[in-house]
Amino acid sequence: MRKMLAAVSRVLSGASQKPGQIFEAYNMAALWKLPCIFICENNRYGMGTSVERAAASTDYYKRGDFIPGLRVDGMDILCVREATRFAAAYCRSGKGPILMELQTYRYHGHSMSDPGVSYRTREEIQEVRSKSDPIMLLKDRMVNSNLASVEELKEIDVEVRKEIEDAAQFATADPEPPLEELGYHIYSSDPPFEVRGANQWIKFKSVS
Amino acid sequence: MAVVAAAAGWLLRLRAAGAEGHWRRLPGAGLARGFLHPAATVEDAAQRRQVAHFTFQPDPEPREYGQTQKMNLFQSVTSALDNSLAKDPTAVIFGEDVAFGGVFRCTVGLRDKYGKDRVFNTPLCEQGIVGFGIGIAVTGATAIAEIQFADYIFPAFDQIVNEAAKYRYRSGDLFNCGSLTIRSPWGCVGHGALYHSQSPEAFFAHCPGIKVVIPRSPFQAKGLLLSCIEDKNPCIFFEPKILYRAAAEEVPIEPYNIPLSQAEVIQEGSDVTLVAWGTQVHVIREVASMAKEKLGVSCEVIDLRTIIPWDVDTICKSVIKTGRLLISHEAPLTGGFASEISSTVQKLCRIEDYPFYKRGKQTKKSKLLGQAQWLTPVIPALWEAEEECFLNLEAPISRVCGYDTPFPHIFEPFYIPDKWKCYDALRKMINY
Repeated sequence: MRKMLAAVSRVLSGASQKPGQIFEAYNMAALWKLPCIFICENNRYGMGTSVERAAASTDYYKRGDFIPGLRVDGMDILCVREATRFAAAYCRSGKGPILMELQTYRYHGHSMSDPGVSYRTREEIQEVRSKSDPIMLLKDRMVNSNLASVEELKEIDVEVRKEIEDAAQFATADPEPPLEELGYHIYSSDPPFEVRGANQWIKFKSVS
Repeated sequence: MAVVAAAAGWLLRLRAAGAEGHWRRLPGAGLARGFLHPAATVEDAAQRRQVAHFTFQPDPEPREYGQTQKMNLFQSVTSALDNSLAKDPTAVIFGEDVAFGGVFRCTVGLRDKYGKDRVFNTPLCEQGIVGFGIGIAVTGATAIAEIQFADYIFPAFDQIVNEAAKYRYRSGDLFNCGSLTIRSPWGCVGHGALYHSQSPEAFFAHCPGIKVVIPRSPFQAKGLLLSCIEDKNPCIFFEPKILYRAAAEEVPIEPYNIPLSQAEVIQEGSDVTLVAWGTQVHVIREVASMAKEKLGVSCEVIDLRTIIPWDVDTICKSVIKTGRLLISHEAPLTGGFASEISSTVQKLCRIEDYPFYKRGKQTKKSKLLGQAQWLTPVIPALWEAEEECFLNLEAPISRVCGYDTPFPHIFEPFYIPDKWKCYDALRKMINY
């Protein structure tokens, strides 16, 4: 069977700035039977508004209407893998688009200026973290099935932490890019295109 | 009240024009005459209703691109699209009703020639059309989207401004949708009213990352459209719909390119610079010949062609030469693109007056070069042109544009910046 590439399109449930557009995309994908998996990561909050207060129907997987939808437990890694396999096979078989809603959670606030607790309780966050944390669930499963020992997983933990530390260190200690890069890649142009700055003598080159 | 005043002004102009013997060609003149003198001219009124406010002036037959054929604007667009689809196997054309040939016949025959997977219809969703086009362009294929009327481009505004224009910039050139071109009929047509006559170039001029191009004639259209399609940036190509049939000239059959971001000096002059784009170019050409005839004024006529990024160099050099600038467009005055041109041309003052650059005794050039490291040391070719533009102005820059109202239906003849309004503004500038 010919390998068909399935396009994967992600929509964040908080990204409700483009709701109309997603319905137009559903329409076109279904009309032309495009092999497209629409993925909705539902973390239950759009910035500070919970989905119950923002959506007339929180069953996002049903909102594809004429596009079949899967509701997937996004906190369970194996569940997500199997669901994705199914969705990819569905698309590749030429049946058209499919919608996958991954139900997950957002521990922190939406941004640095959002404490994350003004619209929900700490208990709720703690509960999810202790009962449904994906990494924890997978770890328990692996240990209980003797696929790995606690020590091996601890080693991986340490490695990961180190990698993150290094990355954070790199990010904070990295030199600032030169000001010229402000103008890069606005246009693709050869020779580099000149862009005006804040006054007529500041010129940036849109190098690309 | 305003209508009465407008009608009164119209009557005065009618009489003044009558004195100059050209009143017959005024838009709606027959109508007004019929209204005022019903006995005399009823049948004339009906006949004269469709008189256009401009006369298309074809350019001389181009010799350097091979065999030519007489084509009107929509045929030249079809020819350009035909050339693109032939040359580029990944090119696709889509939009509302393009399959049967399009509401303006721009895509006639292409579906039969290239297949239904390369020329196809989309549902009625501009947002979806442009979003879909961006997706195609990101994969590397050439997407030529059609928005049925420029007035309907606004649902796609978010996709164009927030997605298409910023794709390359936000990914640091890892990804881009440069092979996207959006084509759309544009501008007044005589009976278009609110939603079939708009000129939205000013909205897009405010958005770095896209290019906006407007041709004035079939020859220009084909060359510019081919350049837009081949350009590695998302482009919006507005086609003046009133010229689809009204403009016909010799156009080469083979593909050719006209460079973007280059204005064209159609007619050289020494007293006034007239700048316009699209249909309005033909209006100001007529104004230029009127000025020559009646006032002995030599006008330099410039077709801007690309709205952004626009050719500041050509305009400024011209204004330095002539000292007077008149810009004209159909879009409303406030925030129209004439305001950008006007502001750029007039604001340039001498470098010594600018406080940041006072660093003791230095020459102008070294002043610029020896700036604080946060300035890029660029001496543009523009430098000589920019330096003295303000001081060279003999009169305030004149903008002759549409009124700040939605594009009217029956009041269109009063709304558009026709040649009389432009002539009047030019006369005032000369006598400043």
